[in-house]
Amino acid sequence: MEMNEHKTVEKDELTGDKLLSGHEYDNIRELDNNLPKWWVWLFIITIIFAVVYIFVFDVIKVAPYQQEEWKKEMADAGSLAPGQSALIVNANLAALTDKSSLEAGKDIWLKQCKVCHLEGGQGLVGPNLTDNFSIHGCAYTDVVNTIIVGVPEKGMISWKTQLSDDQILKVASYVMTLKGTTPPNPKAPQGEPCK
Amino acid sequence: MENQTFYYDNKIVKNFAYATLFWGVVGMVVGLLLALQFIWPALTFGIPYTTFGRIRPIHTNAVIFAFVGNGMFTGIYYSLQRLCKARMFNDLLSKINFWGWQLIIVLAALTFAFGITTGKEYAELEWPIDLLVAVIWLVFGANMIGTIIKRRTQHIYVAIWFYIATFVTITVLHVTNSLAIPVTLFKSYPIYAGVQDALVQWWYGHNAVAFFLTTPFLGLMYYFLPKAANRPIYSYRLSIVHFWALIFLYIWAGPHHLLYSALPNWAQSLGVVFSVMLIAPSWGGMVNGLLTLRGAWDRVREDPVLKFMVVAVTAYGMSTFEGPMMSTKTVNAISHFTDWTVGHAHIGALGWNGFLTFAVLYYLIPRMFQTQLFSRKMANLHFWIGTLGIIFYAVPLYWGAITQASMWKEFTAAGFLKYPNFLETVTQLQPMYATRAIGGALYIVGIVLGIYNLILTIKAGKFMPEEAASAPALASTEAKRGSGEGIHRWLERRPVQFILVALVAILIGGLIEIVPLYLVKTNVPTIASVKPYTPLELQGRDIYVREGCYTCHSQQVRPFRSETERYGEYAKAGEYVYDHPFQWGSKRNGPDLSREGVVNGRQYKPNSWHYNHMLNPQRLNEQSIMPVYKWLITDDLDLSTTAKKIRVMQFLGVPYPAGYDKIANDELMIQARGIADDLKSQGIQVEPGKEIIAMIAYLQRLGKDVHAAGTPTATITGK
Repeated sequence: MEMNEHKTVEKDELTGDKLLSGHEYDNIRELDNNLPKWWVWLFIITIIFAVVYIFVFDVIKVAPYQQEEWKKEMADAGSLAPGQSALIVNANLAALTDKSSLEAGKDIWLKQCKVCHLEGGQGLVGPNLTDNFSIHGCAYTDVVNTIIVGVPEKGMISWKTQLSDDQILKVASYVMTLKGTTPPNPKAPQGEPCK
Repeated sequence: MENQTFYYDNKIVKNFAYATLFWGVVGMVVGLLLALQFIWPALTFGIPYTTFGRIRPIHTNAVIFAFVGNGMFTGIYYSLQRLCKARMFNDLLSKINFWGWQLIIVLAALTFAFGITTGKEYAELEWPIDLLVAVIWLVFGANMIGTIIKRRTQHIYVAIWFYIATFVTITVLHVTNSLAIPVTLFKSYPIYAGVQDALVQWWYGHNAVAFFLTTPFLGLMYYFLPKAANRPIYSYRLSIVHFWALIFLYIWAGPHHLLYSALPNWAQSLGVVFSVMLIAPSWGGMVNGLLTLRGAWDRVREDPVLKFMVVAVTAYGMSTFEGPMMSTKTVNAISHFTDWTVGHAHIGALGWNGFLTFAVLYYLIPRMFQTQLFSRKMANLHFWIGTLGIIFYAVPLYWGAITQASMWKEFTAAGFLKYPNFLETVTQLQPMYATRAIGGALYIVGIVLGIYNLILTIKAGKFMPEEAASAPALASTEAKRGSGEGIHRWLERRPVQFILVALVAILIGGLIEIVPLYLVKTNVPTIASVKPYTPLELQGRDIYVREGCYTCHSQQVRPFRSETERYGEYAKAGEYVYDHPFQWGSKRNGPDLSREGVVNGRQYKPNSWHYNHMLNPQRLNEQSIMPVYKWLITDDLDLSTTAKKIRVMQFLGVPYPAGYDKIANDELMIQARGIADDLKSQGIQVEPGKEIIAMIAYLQRLGKDVHAAGTPTATITGK
């Protein structure tokens, strides 16, 4: 394929490979080596992959698109899909008092609640939970109920999609222990005084 | 034919080399500051100009366009003259190229610090600077093509093919992606919105990697590696095949940045398959480089130039394998939005670009100063510290990425997210971030050592500004192909035709992907409940863009159970139709925000929370790495731009009623007073005309419209 092919073939001294005549650029020479076989195969395989992929996904459409993947994932989760709190909040529901429940409750508090009510429950965005006032009721059952249904328009979201019933009872129990504590910089009382 | 004597312009090469070193240190030190802000968010210093969202674009642009850009010009100005056996076409153009480029860099750094940004990654420059970039880039192109035209060699060498592809493609990318309508001298809206803007942006972003960080450096490799090793190129045939395959295929692969997004599925599929097909063409460059060293490996052990090159080429091979893997949906579902992408980018930037740049500098500075490198030992030390730096940088990020992605996706047996608080997944990464910062610091130490070595080299030598060379003039040649002359061999002596063929090769992929997104309506199904932003929300959105919130927060919920449970409804193309520019983001250092305003949603926070969070995020959670944004509370919202912004939006097709611009500020104030009153009811005194009010208004709008549509995929329960 070369225009000015010489009769004598010049060879690279170290490898014995054929040098291309006329290919010299600022003393850089080029060898007449073929494409490495493995490289050609690698290229061919990726091209075959591409053709098959497009055919399967976009031509005959037997492989799932992302929307179908999601539907399947949700269906597989099935009954596990959260947001179906089965808690029946009635007057008989009593706060948990055992140490491990309260510790678990505190753990949830620190991860989810303190970002509005602050660590000690003194309140900032959300109300102070340590004083003897409450906007949505003082009883343990009121707290549980507020966590489940939330007060979205005021910023307290419903937690039933993010916490299990067990977690809700534990964190509500922990909230009950905050009452009467005296963290620094408490927010002014809001709501009605508790009886 | 008689020999002509001419002189290579070394002075321009020297200028670019010095600029490379200077901006390299600047860009990387800013990078280190960013890395440290992950560990100590107080290092944003509570002022706008040093906050993460503003200096992250300074870092990325400085490294890409200032460090690598000047490095590329250094190598091209040196090698092009020698490969063409000609001085640069025009000294004045060379000077304009140099000083214009430095001016752009300074303007970029200043404007980004002041929050003047388009909010499109690696294309953040506002329109006046974009125009300047275009002019200076064309000056470079004219100078290069002029030099090629008046060359004294018959054929153009493979390095020059890559330089040509670089020039042609970057021109097309920069112009297409920067099309915008100005609002003021410092603010514009891109002509594209939402999904279309995203596709154009990542077509640009991906190919900026391809044609700014890859093709010019392959060109440099093709010149400096055989020169330094004094070995012939392994295979001319491989050069041809991998060159054309690379530039043709690369341009298609942009959508791999948008997998599992609201981009139409067919476009995502193209992104996947073209990325996978890129492995071999990319490796063609690595193979041709490494096999060129056959017979010279003993010298690699001793010569720091070759050492840097071998690691650079190997890093190139690694990241061009890793890239296609990350472009498969399986891997992307894990890697996207995590530090995996950051690690991947730095293998390329620190390994491939950084090391090759230093190989080039260690090669050409002693030659231009007619001396030897001052200390081989020091260069070897630089090499080892740099290599160690790369390892310390990348490994913890890969580890952290997999850790974080697993935490995002983990459910409890009861079906709840195990880590519903996003922050937990960030706090977990602190040790990795610390190690990453050590890696980055090591790399900088290596660079400082390298600079010291080069300064001593320069002091010991004597600069040769004009280097004499001689070659016979180029005999006029037959335009037609000679008998037995291959097509490609013919093309190599017809540079204009070469440029045109390259242009066609890179246009095909872009056109096929981008045009249908405009012409075929079904690609962006509209959602009736999606309405334009109110004037206050629009102003708030522009503050969001100004502060670079997209550098840490995505607005793109992927269709995974773990994301629809965490955030809400997955992203739909139709919800972004008024987003000029799109703000999908590419990295989650904080949670996705696209469902922030959904009152019944999982992410919802009241106005007073946003106020307190901007004022002092660490008061709400001491582990938070969110910067303080207290100036939003004290600074007045600029109302003078509202009417003009509405008019530009109308021009772009956003359906505000006619004459709306005249009442826009009245409407804005009504909404602002509502938010101020709500804050007041929570004990927070803030005037309605402050920036924070607009920002809150925007955040509270996010996701509202698409959730109002009540589509069957809604996962929000309790409604």
